[in-house]
Amino acid sequence: MKLPRLVLLQVFLRSFLLQASWNYEQMQSLGLLYAVTPAFRRYYTGAALLMAYRRHLEHFNTHPYLATAVIGALLRLEEQKQQGADPGFGLSEFKAAMVAPCAAMGDAFFWGALRPLVAVAALLPAFQGFWWAPLGYLLLYNFPHLGFRALGLIRGYGGGVRVVSSLQHWRLSDWSVYCKQLLLLLLGVLAALISIAATAGLGLSGAWVLCAGPLLWAVAMLMRRKISPLLVIWVLCLLSLSWSQLR
Amino acid sequence: MELSTLGLTLAVSVVCGLDRTAAGQFMLSRPIVAAPLTGWLLGSPEAGLQIGAMLELLWLGRLPVGAAIPPDDSQVAVGCTLLAVAAQARTGMPLQAVAVASLLLGMPFGKAGQFFDRQARILNGKLLHRAEKALECGCAKSLERLHLLGMLHFALASAATLGVVVSGGWLLLPLALKTLEQPLTAVSNWLWLLFPLTGIASLLGGLKVPRGWQIFCVSFLLSLFVLVLR
Repeated sequence: MKLPRLVLLQVFLRSFLLQASWNYEQMQSLGLLYAVTPAFRRYYTGAALLMAYRRHLEHFNTHPYLATAVIGALLRLEEQKQQGADPGFGLSEFKAAMVAPCAAMGDAFFWGALRPLVAVAALLPAFQGFWWAPLGYLLLYNFPHLGFRALGLIRGYGGGVRVVSSLQHWRLSDWSVYCKQLLLLLLGVLAALISIAATAGLGLSGAWVLCAGPLLWAVAMLMRRKISPLLVIWVLCLLSLSWSQLR
Repeated sequence: MELSTLGLTLAVSVVCGLDRTAAGQFMLSRPIVAAPLTGWLLGSPEAGLQIGAMLELLWLGRLPVGAAIPPDDSQVAVGCTLLAVAAQARTGMPLQAVAVASLLLGMPFGKAGQFFDRQARILNGKLLHRAEKALECGCAKSLERLHLLGMLHFALASAATLGVVVSGGWLLLPLALKTLEQPLTAVSNWLWLLFPLTGIASLLGGLKVPRGWQIFCVSFLLSLFVLVLR
């Protein structure tokens, strides 16, 4: 039984609440059941529906944006199972094999690369006082976010286990590196803007701008030694206040 | 402080708190969005934009990977914007000075968010047990309700964190502004820039990209050159 588009849309919308009951025991398992419920109600009724729920109420944790790819493939496999096809592996095995790579790819790309990149891109106008910077941030970030969510469900449901090829084809690990390189470029621009503003604000000569480089390097080395940014900012602020008092 | 102001702040806090983990994750919860939104609702968008821009980079490198919970920068952004708007209206000090002071005092309380978030996730574990029992009894209908109840826990955790940030700041900020009014005003321009510089350093320290420092240095020097020539 192929799912109507309306049901797929319901699954898609429900996937936004995947983590509503995130817990330490099974993490997103209840969220998964919540998301697939409109489809499961089409596939099963009565005791069969309860059995399906019991089968899937187990540990599930992946990246929320790529979860739709797993959910889509899972629904396709449930369908194939109903039609008597034997994929050669269990649904639990499939889920277990998919969640970790999706989590790793999603964390590296969305949290580790795209989010900082878009944040720094939005900070460039924000530091100049442009009110639309937050809106730009939301648009720039959510365009790929929503795209991946929708595409994940379409490819997952359309292709079943072949979603693995789609995920490979997207080359998210490579894109993470490109995004991080672009992020470093933008960080350089932001650091230059801030340094010039700082020296101008303090009435210092232009040569002082170059001090920002070693200062950034020293603070970055502290961060690598797991010193909290909060502690660093407090110490720097106290030093600045003391210096101002001494002057 | 008026009740309507508190109500608006609480509403933003809950929306951002839910967006952080439980619902959507559209990044409404990032300081660059949450703080200007709060500032706009409280009638001072500039305060929100300044606080959001200062705070955004600082904890950006702390990733919500797996069960890890970063400090609650969303509630710090919302709470500190409220504190800064109220303090500026009360004292008439420059916006940058009150924004820096409220952030310095409010940020440590963001750690409370980790505690409350953990409690919410522990309470959600009880929902899972109830769901398992419901399935044993053959009652599948309650699964959806139990799942959605988890959002209530996350919302309460956000409100509790906001409460800690605002109460802590409310107690300390008047004292700090009274004692440090002159030096704060004198160096607020400089302090305002220390936040993003520390944030940039934090990101640089955490990014593992081949030839990362070279890329950053070339971009920094080229940008300086262009900006100075301009």
